[in-house]
Parts: sequence; structure tokens; C-alpha cells
Amino acid sequence: MEIRFAGVTKQFSPDIVALQDLFLTIAKGEFVYLVGPTGSGKTTLLRLVTREVLPTKGQVTVGDINIRKIASYDLAYLRRDIGVVFQDFRLLPHLTVYENVAFVQEAIGVPPTDVQKRTNDVLDRLGLWRRRFLYPEQISGGEQQRVAIGRAIANSPSILLADEPTGNLDIHTAEEIMQLLLSINASGTTVMVATHNQYIVDAYRQRVIELRKGRMVRDDKKGRYEVDGDL
Amino acid sequence: MATFRYILRDTWRLLSRHWGLSVLTLLTSVAVFFLVGASVLFVLNTRYLVATVEGDLMVQAYVRNTPEALESVARKASTYDSVSSVRIVTSDEALERLRARLGKQAEAVTLLDENPLPPSVEVRVKRAAFASVIARELISMPEVEDVVYAGAIAERLERISSFVSRLSLVILAVSMASASLVLFNTIRISVYARKEEIGTMLLVGATRNFVVFPYVLQGVILGTAGALLSALLLWFSYGAALDALERSLPFVSLITDTRVILRLGVVLVSAGVTVGWICSWLAASRFIRLASRSL
Repeated sequence: MEIRFAGVTKQFSPDIVALQDLFLTIAKGEFVYLVGPTGSGKTTLLRLVTREVLPTKGQVTVGDINIRKIASYDLAYLRRDIGVVFQDFRLLPHLTVYENVAFVQEAIGVPPTDVQKRTNDVLDRLGLWRRRFLYPEQISGGEQQRVAIGRAIANSPSILLADEPTGNLDIHTAEEIMQLLLSINASGTTVMVATHNQYIVDAYRQRVIELRKGRMVRDDKKGRYEVDGDL
Repeated sequence: MATFRYILRDTWRLLSRHWGLSVLTLLTSVAVFFLVGASVLFVLNTRYLVATVEGDLMVQAYVRNTPEALESVARKASTYDSVSSVRIVTSDEALERLRARLGKQAEAVTLLDENPLPPSVEVRVKRAAFASVIARELISMPEVEDVVYAGAIAERLERISSFVSRLSLVILAVSMASASLVLFNTIRISVYARKEEIGTMLLVGATRNFVVFPYVLQGVILGTAGALLSALLLWFSYGAALDALERSLPFVSLITDTRVILRLGVVLVSAGVTVGWICSWLAASRFIRLASRSL
């Protein structure tokens, strides 16, 4: 699915402008890094795609759906096609690792045998098979991050949004995660990754969009990290 | 199927996670539904008692001692809708009744050469409230010399009957409001305790109904279980109360038909399901609607 931002501004209060006059198109099947210092608007941009926030001005289109005009019932169906890896993971604490990954499939009524097969495949790919009966609080931060990725990809979404997916991971695990995201992208999923990880951006060269104070300041086809003054 | 399994699992989690609150809500529902059931039984028994007494309530018209006059009064009295039965009591029959009532003392009556008792027409009314009206109608008939009836009792019974009905409505309303409030708050606490999770569920594509259903089921289970337990408690305690009353007040007749109690149990459980459903739906769906709003 293509994602299009047409003149998008997001203002949370008169003093806080998260995004300003953003024009951006992400083609179907593209892999995009969003880079920029903290507070530059990366997370807001991702939250606009899931309609967690609405634009103050302008238009966000996902596929052929204008997110402002979508009915709340249809919004659930749109979100099922968008996998999200949240910066703070947002795992469901009362569910085990297995149940967290299976959650979206259960929510949309996938037959139990398919849920089991898909979930087991994902857990195996992410190296979480042995952890499947544990609860989020019983596993490490890196493992929690992998569970969050597992939940996002278990439903084979058309779009995958990842906010700092390698934030708590060592280089080796971060590389594994990147390989995973690239393989998902290779199967036709549009992937947007907001990151501060210079190593992975430079190692796995893809389109780089740099934001600064809510404005897009760079859009490189096969870019490098090159963010000045980043934290 | 997976959805249904998830909903059942999540409902169990909700019930067991805050088990203290669940037990407290269950106990409150039991107490409230027991109060509702007990007040309904009280009203039913009061009405039954009033109806029994009303059935015995009689207006006695003393008529001039001619067969035509007796027939005429009886015929006129039976035309009223509020009259349930009319019966002519001859002087001889009245004397027989007196003898039966007095027992050994009846010998005194046999000493009299002439039967001193006048004939009368006994008129039974359908409801106590009609007794005064019928008495007035009877006294206005030229054949009738005097009318005797328990006017004060009739009026008092009517007052008791309407007071109990009004009181029971108040008890019912207060009890149902309490049950609703307790269930509503329990579900609201459960929802608030998981507000972030609910936000995440909605963000990853769960529909509002999918999120709300475990909470609704939690409310229905607590409401139904409370009503069911209260119905059982009512069954046993009413049985014990009947036994005790039969020993101490044998002349008081109360409802002993088990079908009435069973029907009341069914009504209570239905009320538990309904109250649980409505309260939990209101508590959860309102919050979830707010949580699903975009910023």
C-alpha cells in the first residue's frame, strides 16, 4: 500500500508543532528509514499512518483511504493491515509471549490451527520459541522488542511501521532484526523504520528521510545516517 | 472460534486478576438480589393474605322476614360486578351456626321457645374496597332493615395492600439501582486498570466489540451468579421461614406453592443477566469509545 502525506501539519498545542507542511509519498513495497533528532516528528509521522493522531492540516492517505474520513469500524480493519512495532513495545502484560504474537490473529478470527501455525513460525524466526509461555515482565528488553516485532508481522501486514525497533538490542541482534525487516520488505510489505541507529542505516542502505523540527530536510534514495546534533 | 476462545480466556483473566473485587461484587449482588427477591415475596404474601381475608369479607344484610324480600335482595345484590357470591341465610340456619359456634353453651339457646335470629343475605365482595359501597347499596334497598360488615377491617386491608405495593416498588427501585451501581463500578475499575492495554488492542486492529466483550461477559457472569446464589438462598430461607411461621402462627396462611418461588428465581436470574449486561456494556463501551478517539 502506498502512503501519501499531502501538506500535512500536526500541531498538538500553539507551542508544539510536531510536523509542518509535509509532502511525502512512500511507494508500495518501499523500505524507508526515518531519521532525525529526538522531537523531530518521526513518531508523530508513524502515528498519523495508524490514525492514532489526526493531521491538523493536510491529508494522509493510506492506499486509497483518507485516514480522516475512515469510519471507526473500518479503522480496525485498516489497522490489521498495518503492523506496528511501538517504541515502548506496548505488549499486553496479561498475555504470554505466544498469546501476544497470536493476539491480532485471534482478534480478527483466524482459524485456531492457522493461528497456531503462524505464531509458531514467527516465534521460531525470532528465536522466541523457548520463551513462548513466559509473560513480558519475565523476559529481557531485547526479547520484548522481538515479541513486539513478532506481533506486528504475524498477520502478514501490507505496511510495517517500526519505531526504534533496534533501540534496546546489541549489534548482533539488531542485525538479525534488520535482516528480518528486509526479508518482510522483500515479500512486498512497505516498511517504515524510525531510528537513531547509525550503524544499521549505514550498513543496510535504503531510502532515508530526515526530519528536523517537524520539517523534511532530506530525502535520499540510498542514503546514509548523517544526522547532525542527534542525541 | 479463536476469537471466542480469546474472549473466554480474557473474561476469566478479568475475574481472577481482581479476585477480591470480583468476590465483593458477587457478594453485593447476592445481597441486593436477595433483598429484591425477599421484598417481592413479602409483597406477594401480603397480597395473598389480603386476598384471603378479602375472600372472607362479608356484608350481611338483615331483611324483613318474608321469602320474597330475601329473594329480591339476593337477586339485586348478585347483579353487582364487585360481588363474588350471594347467599340467603334463613333463621334456622343462623341458629344452627350459633349452636355450632357456641358448643356446649348452645344449650342456653335451646331453652328459648322461639328462634330469635333474623334471616339475612350474606354478600361476599371481590375486594375489601368494595365492601363499603355494597353496604351502602344494600342499606338503600327498602327490604333491608340493617347491614353489618367489618368496615374498618375492609378499609385497613385496602390501605395495607396499597402501602405494601408502593413500599415494594421503592425497595425494588433502590435495590436494582444499588446492584447496577456496584456492577457498573466494578467493570469501570477493571476497564481503568487496563486502559493502556485497551489502547494497544485498538491500535493493533481489535474492534471495539472484541475489546468490550470480555468486560460485558464479566458483568453478566457476576450479575447472573449473584442472582442465582440469591435465588438459592431465598429458596432455603423461605422454606425455613414457612416452617417457623407454621409453628408459631398457624392461623396465618402464606404462599406455599413452590412454582411461585421457582418463577421468582427465574425472574431474579433474568434480572441478573440483564443488569449485568447493561451496566458492563455502559461502563466499558463508554471508555473504549473515548480510548479509540484520535488525537
